[in-house]
Amino acid sequence: MTPQVRARGRMVGLLAVLTVLTAVVTGFAPAASAQSYVPISGSGSTWSYNAIDQWRKNVQQFGIRISFAGTGSTDGRNQFKSGQVDFAVSEIPYNLVDGGVRDLPPENGNFAYMPIVAGGTSLMYNLNIGGKRVTTLRLSGDVVTKIFTRVITMWNDPAIAADNPSLKLPARQIIPVVRGDGSGSTAQFTAWMAAQHGGIWDDFCRKVNRATPCGFTSSYPSMQGIIAQEKSIGVANYVRQGQSDGAITYVEYSYAKNAGFPVAKLLNAKGYYVSPTAQAVAVALLKAKINPDLTQDLNQVYTDADPRTYPMSSYSYMILPTAPTAKFNEQKGRTLSDFAYYFLCEGQQQADRLGFSPLPINLVQAGLQQVARIPGSTKKSTDIAKCNNPTFSTDGTNTLAKTAPQPPDCDRKGGPVVCAGPGGTSGTGSTAGTNGAAKPGAATPGAAGPAAAGDPAAAGPAAAGETAEGGEGTTAEGSTDGVVNSASAVPVSVDLPANDGTLLIVVASVLLLALVVGPPLVAKIIRAKGSQA
Amino acid sequence: MTQLTSAPEDVRRAEVVDPPRRRVALSGGVDRVFRATLRGAGLTVLALMGTVGLFLFVRGLDAFSVAGLDFFTTESWEPDSHRFGIAAVLVGTLLIASVALVVAFPLALGVALYISEYAPRRVRRVLTSMVDLMAAVPSVVYGLFGSTLLQWQGSDIPRWLSIQFGWIPFLDVPQADPDNPLSPTGVYATSTFWAGLVVGFMIMPFICSVMRESFTQAPQGEREGAYALGSTRWGVIRSVVLPFGRSGMIGGTMLGLGRALGETIAVAMIISPIFVIQPHILGAGGSSVSALIAQRWGSASPFGLGALMAAGLALFLMTLVVNFAASAVIARSRSGQGSDA
Repeated sequence: MTPQVRARGRMVGLLAVLTVLTAVVTGFAPAASAQSYVPISGSGSTWSYNAIDQWRKNVQQFGIRISFAGTGSTDGRNQFKSGQVDFAVSEIPYNLVDGGVRDLPPENGNFAYMPIVAGGTSLMYNLNIGGKRVTTLRLSGDVVTKIFTRVITMWNDPAIAADNPSLKLPARQIIPVVRGDGSGSTAQFTAWMAAQHGGIWDDFCRKVNRATPCGFTSSYPSMQGIIAQEKSIGVANYVRQGQSDGAITYVEYSYAKNAGFPVAKLLNAKGYYVSPTAQAVAVALLKAKINPDLTQDLNQVYTDADPRTYPMSSYSYMILPTAPTAKFNEQKGRTLSDFAYYFLCEGQQQADRLGFSPLPINLVQAGLQQVARIPGSTKKSTDIAKCNNPTFSTDGTNTLAKTAPQPPDCDRKGGPVVCAGPGGTSGTGSTAGTNGAAKPGAATPGAAGPAAAGDPAAAGPAAAGETAEGGEGTTAEGSTDGVVNSASAVPVSVDLPANDGTLLIVVASVLLLALVVGPPLVAKIIRAKGSQA
Repeated sequence: MTQLTSAPEDVRRAEVVDPPRRRVALSGGVDRVFRATLRGAGLTVLALMGTVGLFLFVRGLDAFSVAGLDFFTTESWEPDSHRFGIAAVLVGTLLIASVALVVAFPLALGVALYISEYAPRRVRRVLTSMVDLMAAVPSVVYGLFGSTLLQWQGSDIPRWLSIQFGWIPFLDVPQADPDNPLSPTGVYATSTFWAGLVVGFMIMPFICSVMRESFTQAPQGEREGAYALGSTRWGVIRSVVLPFGRSGMIGGTMLGLGRALGETIAVAMIISPIFVIQPHILGAGGSSVSALIAQRWGSASPFGLGALMAAGLALFLMTLVVNFAASAVIARSRSGQGSDA
């Protein structure tokens, strides 16, 4: 009888635990004001996923339940077309020809595009010189194209060195990491390559058996030596690994920011290397031509002559239904419209912090008009002045773009190698989300050293010392070294494994498990022994 | 699958030995209903398989007709440019499945023998439930484990293998240069090896359960007989348990192979797809049919979807062939056959 009793006791215990758990979970759930909102679902872009996910969490307090699956823009468009989701998010519209195939829009034609956020497709990389992470990499457009088409395969290629006179680049292989699934990031990136460096891009297409001229594509061609990973988070995860030294990928800036990894500064048409900051993106998108259906034409963004422009900037779009269907009723429209009203207005304040750039006033206004077309829309009248959108101004200009700082002279192609003063290269470099804060005290000796020596040859290695500023602690030492054995400093990888706390987590989880499972097991064994005796 | 196809085999044998008697009385209503239900269940399985095959064939026909026989020889997957074929993905699938079997078979055999022959009762119970638990873990969890932890933290394993055994062609990693401290270590990740290893972990419990079942069924009398003749425990295993369990071993392995060929999500999460035949299993890049389908179907054009269906049909047929071969092998080597001598 005893074992049965024991089993029953255990069951009761388990039930009790479950009850408590359920009580806790439901107790903390937001108060259900759901009589007015119904849950809606969307899927698509991983490029803008981080922004949408944050907004989604923010509106939970109002009882708006949104589920959004970041499955890639192409998948989002396909799912919206087949009516599986209520809305889609995509970087590119329907009706574009990709690899000779037209992506047909939904047959009923009842949909509209609405810009949701702006951002820069950034080049996140993992490169170490002498065990220190490089944070000041600068790349020109044709070098980027050649890297992602396997024309340039080594980091010490003269073309990369020409972009980075301050870095002594190692003889390390470049590992280009691309998206393996159909992706809007790939579409934006390849559209830029096709428009700006069509020759190199077409050569690559020929090599991988694609029809040329191949233009933009949502699915990056696969090739030996190019690593393909699923989703934005997948490519970012690949690059951030300690073993991925030498890897570079294209991904929305927020992913690099979240991973604490630097992104390359990209050369713009004016000859300045610029980071994909919210301001640089805002400046660039002043040149975006907005079509009547609100879709974007970025050709003038790529060639914008403003020195503050980040060329690979773009808007991301939500694809909305404009007529009720069997699956999309007015109640869903009501939920979707209130969600849209939120992120077009208040939500834009967070764009910069999340690694995106807020929409300018004209697109917010146009977006609000689109929201009114959703069936069942609440048609709120939004007082735009109260949105606190950092781009708004009283005179209609884009404040964010207007106040964007001019890039320092040392970020000009062919400009001085070492940035003057503590706010130089390291200052702007740290916008790329480095861990260690730029240390002005450390930068000064490094920069001053070669200048005092008056020897132009010493400039390179001294600057290599400067790159060490991304790391912590040994910065001062690094720059002194750079000055002392300036001529012979050869970068050798002495990569110590980064202490990322994995071991700690493993130990902690094992301990937790032991704590949970241990006592009952021990008790059982003791009891068994007792009954035998 | 294997069990199903082997069942009619039994019936046929029984007929040869002992033909059924003629029925005198008609079977009752309950009997008839029961038989109709069972027959319905059996036919449903057939109909399901037939429908799946037909569906894949019809949807893939378009792609077949464009690619022709090149479909089996082209190492590329660009359906929208009409250059696509399954040469690379099919080879990749087989390589992943072989790695999985190389990992899973010895592991499963060892665990099954330990559980059925050596383990004390309490350990046996714990181990059995652990193995069952392993089978219950969803494959996406294995995929996460492999793609975020194993392949990065364990990169020393393929490196060691490739340095020590690089002279075996398929263990060589041409992109890596162990003498160069600057050579990338990432080339050992996202490889056929890691995908195969994780798939091996996933199929191990299935193989193990089938093996354990057949080992425990080795007749007690023959075991005692072997002991009486002075066998050690290992001797008993060799002369009684293994011969009796042979069909179970083969059946379990084939069951595992069938699963390994079709394993999708874990492979898709680990591997970096390339569409050339990648014989270097330790080097980055690889492919499998199911991972290709999983990765591409969401973003495929209508024609691309047809091409994926065609690839799916190829995998479907290959799995069928493997399973039929397995059931044939099992049928030929009945349990206990080897110990009769």
